[in-house]
Amino acid sequence: MTDSIQTMFDEMPDQGGRIYSTDALEQMTGDSEENLFSFAEYHPEEAERTGYSDYSYWKSVWRIFLKKKFAVAMVILFLAVFIFSFVALAIGKYQYDNLVPDNRQMFISPNREYWFGTDNIGRDYWCQVWYATQTSIKLAAIVALGECVVGVVLGCLWGYVRKLDRFFTEIYNILYSVPTIIYMTLIALMIGRSFWIMCITLILFHWIYMAKNVRNLVFMYRDREYNLASRCLGTRLGTILSRNILPYLISVIILRLALSIPSTIGYETTLSYLGLGLDVNTPSLGILLRNSRAYFLDYPYLLIFPAAIVSIVTVAFYLAGNAFSDAADPRNHV
Amino acid sequence: MKKEKIILSAKDVEIQFSLRGDLLTAIRGCSLDLYEGETLAIVGESGSGKSVFTKSFLGMLDQNGSVTGGSILFEGEDIALLKSEKDWRRIRGGKIAMVMQDPMTSLNPLKRIGQQVEESILLHQQLSPAEARKEALHMLELVGIPDAARRFNQYPHEFSGGMRQRVVIAIAVACRPRILICDEPTTALDVTIQAQILALIRDLQKKFGMTIIYITHDLGVVANVAERVAVMYAGQIIEIGAAEEIFYDPRHPYSWALLGALPQLGVKGEKLPTIEGTPPNLFNRITGDAFAPRNRQALQIDYKVEPPYFEVTSTHKAKTWLLDPRAPRVEQPDSIKRLSGRMTVDYGSDTRHPHEDPNRETLIEVRGMQVTFGTGRKKFVAVDDVSFEIYRGETFALVGESGSGKTTIGRAITRINPISAGEILYKGQRISGRISKELDHQVIKGCQMIFQDPLASLNERAKVDYIVSEGIRNLHMYRDEDERQEMVRKALCEVGLLPEFASRFPHEFSGGQRQRIGIARALVMKPEFIVADEPISALDVSIRAQVLNLLNELKATYGLTYLFIAHDLSVVRFIADRIAVIYKGRIVELSEAEELFRHPLHPYTRALLSAIPEPDPAVERNKRLVVYDPSVHDYTEEKPVWCEILPGHFVYGNAAELESYRAALQA
Repeated sequence: MTDSIQTMFDEMPDQGGRIYSTDALEQMTGDSEENLFSFAEYHPEEAERTGYSDYSYWKSVWRIFLKKKFAVAMVILFLAVFIFSFVALAIGKYQYDNLVPDNRQMFISPNREYWFGTDNIGRDYWCQVWYATQTSIKLAAIVALGECVVGVVLGCLWGYVRKLDRFFTEIYNILYSVPTIIYMTLIALMIGRSFWIMCITLILFHWIYMAKNVRNLVFMYRDREYNLASRCLGTRLGTILSRNILPYLISVIILRLALSIPSTIGYETTLSYLGLGLDVNTPSLGILLRNSRAYFLDYPYLLIFPAAIVSIVTVAFYLAGNAFSDAADPRNHV
Repeated sequence: MKKEKIILSAKDVEIQFSLRGDLLTAIRGCSLDLYEGETLAIVGESGSGKSVFTKSFLGMLDQNGSVTGGSILFEGEDIALLKSEKDWRRIRGGKIAMVMQDPMTSLNPLKRIGQQVEESILLHQQLSPAEARKEALHMLELVGIPDAARRFNQYPHEFSGGMRQRVVIAIAVACRPRILICDEPTTALDVTIQAQILALIRDLQKKFGMTIIYITHDLGVVANVAERVAVMYAGQIIEIGAAEEIFYDPRHPYSWALLGALPQLGVKGEKLPTIEGTPPNLFNRITGDAFAPRNRQALQIDYKVEPPYFEVTSTHKAKTWLLDPRAPRVEQPDSIKRLSGRMTVDYGSDTRHPHEDPNRETLIEVRGMQVTFGTGRKKFVAVDDVSFEIYRGETFALVGESGSGKTTIGRAITRINPISAGEILYKGQRISGRISKELDHQVIKGCQMIFQDPLASLNERAKVDYIVSEGIRNLHMYRDEDERQEMVRKALCEVGLLPEFASRFPHEFSGGQRQRIGIARALVMKPEFIVADEPISALDVSIRAQVLNLLNELKATYGLTYLFIAHDLSVVRFIADRIAVIYKGRIVELSEAEELFRHPLHPYTRALLSAIPEPDPAVERNKRLVVYDPSVHDYTEEKPVWCEILPGHFVYGNAAELESYRAALQA
């Protein structure tokens, strides 16, 4: 078999060795031989010029995120629900603030007058559901932001300052090993139940997960050479964290932020359903679900409307958040 | 030359990758005939396509790449046409095998060493499990694993880097491939280990009659192993010939530049010839000679028509218009003439003896320094009882293998790592431990550091402007914004970058440019002393010379003092005034540079010197390797001391050893 290769090469003794004739060259380039074989001018700046690649992190993130049609649809769906919650209240026939219990109007199935029917004490369900949607989203947004701020600041310190590692790790162990439900029960019983108590307690117990996540990343970047260089240059801790490390964490932080919104809504719903969350008179999706608990077998619409909205919001945020994390990973930018 | 059998023949191979929707032509019509039983080295900078080209012989291109043109004939079959993994498995391993660069990642950490060798034997040879086991053991012995029967059952983490690479080689050779491709097999290893691995591969080749393709950027390694050398640039082989022809009589300007830029061939105190700029962007179509924009002596035609191969001898071809009879004559540069022996290198001309200068000023003094990591039982002493002085205006080199503690010393001086014993003095003032804020600022201004990895040492998310002015911002070294910008501009110009680069992000720059940004960042502080931590080892050969020249220039202009940390003695010889050799956290020998090369005393220094790869095939082929065995020191009875055996020449040893060193110096 190798012989066949041999013969192939015998036929082509100087492979690639075409020597151009002067005529051919002059014809190809439209230049004279003398000129062609003279030295060209050397431009050192020309050699120094870089391939300007025009890559930008955020542009790439958006480009890739926008390519994921399903995730974009989810974002649009969430925005639609959120905006519609305002529109719905405006176009509804009843105002939430003016609702009065009415024994004669109990358990009316959805109809032209009561678009989502009425509840067990005869109040319009439409305005309750949309008002509750706003409350839940507001709560989720506040908690997510709070968690994010506290978690990132403390997480950065936890990761960067070696001496604090032990301290924070112990806090993590305590918070992690005792179920949140137990804390929440204690707080609900001892302090009370309100929108703001709920916000603060959720932030208080959930920042640690964000902090842990941030800490692991800071750990990774802390001893990179560019941080050593900053230390050599006398850069202060705060500046190193905010200028050298935080920019690398932004994608992860945003991802966690996006994911903590559905999880907070889920938590609120669960806790309220168990009677540990908000007080019964604050309308949130969880409270509506709790109130409907006793009747939903007979009047399923009481459960279906709030449950559908909870599902839409959580699933949309979850899927969009995941897609965003993929898009934010620089490895996917190639 | 005798007519040899061609075992593999690549013709006009073109390989393209699609990246972010664009097509990158990594290999632009590359042809190569591989002769049975030869050792061919492919040299080139990163991105020249040397790995990609050879990977295509194994069908191991990344998912987004494919052979889009040409043919690769092997055993009468065009393997460029193979598509399925099943087809490739016939070739891969059994016929053509590959040894990768990093031994740390090429073994499965969860499987025993013996099992991994056995596996490859069972796959490619028809043997019973018992026979395969015997064969695997035999292979391990063959690659020089001591006590192979016991180590057979160990896991990869129980092996050192060099030993792991031996195992990887055993796995590759166990299938008796006809062609073995070694992709930078020693780049991740220490110099002394590298020399041993190279010797091993040569042995195995003789034993099994394999054909070997060696991919490397290190011309010293090439001179050691190769019979033929191919130089690649921008996806093409631009020159190919016997090793002697390429080293002693290269014809392509790029080969000249590549060889000329080697510090081994430089003359101390003179500038190294450099290649400016960066290799071309392969996303673009290249017309003419790809090297032309970086070639000082490019012809007009180089920009217009791609040069054909011109034959220099029957074995030596080069792709440059300079060989055309119509082209003007261009002399080979001096460094090439020095190499081919037409000019002699006079290292003896270096008659500076800093130790005889009575006026020298001690800038940095390290006394009995110890650095430990971890606490309690896991405590690890990285640097132990190290003392030395660095005088103003000198380049003090610290040489040792990885893990010897050289970087730790550098970082201790810049106060990144705290020391656990001893002290560090800067201009007579103690700077280790707790110091006043005023002194702290003085040290920050006075002592700066240049880092090894140009990719990791710049903050990717900050503009060059911010990176360079970080230090002056911290210490408020400017009056107003205009002055700050002026300082940044000046620092950038100083390191040969354009001032407009200030508004860009680091990822837009090449390795050499990024390293220079790192130098500008240190320089803007107007330091007296700079710790250069392996500043060139992560750079391409062509760019190393630029950075070395720059460091030397800055030293001359500003009277800088360097602590130059390196693992490579050849570079150090070119740049350093004094050299300290460090082994396992202890300095074993310290002397003026030429003195150390002329009279190495400590056995470790001698081993290190013997392992330096020289870019000269004649020297490399006749070299005798000295292997250092730490057990030659018997320190149980007599404790070793740090002794100045000659003025300015220190060595670590006990009385008996010092006696023998003295005797060696007399002889």
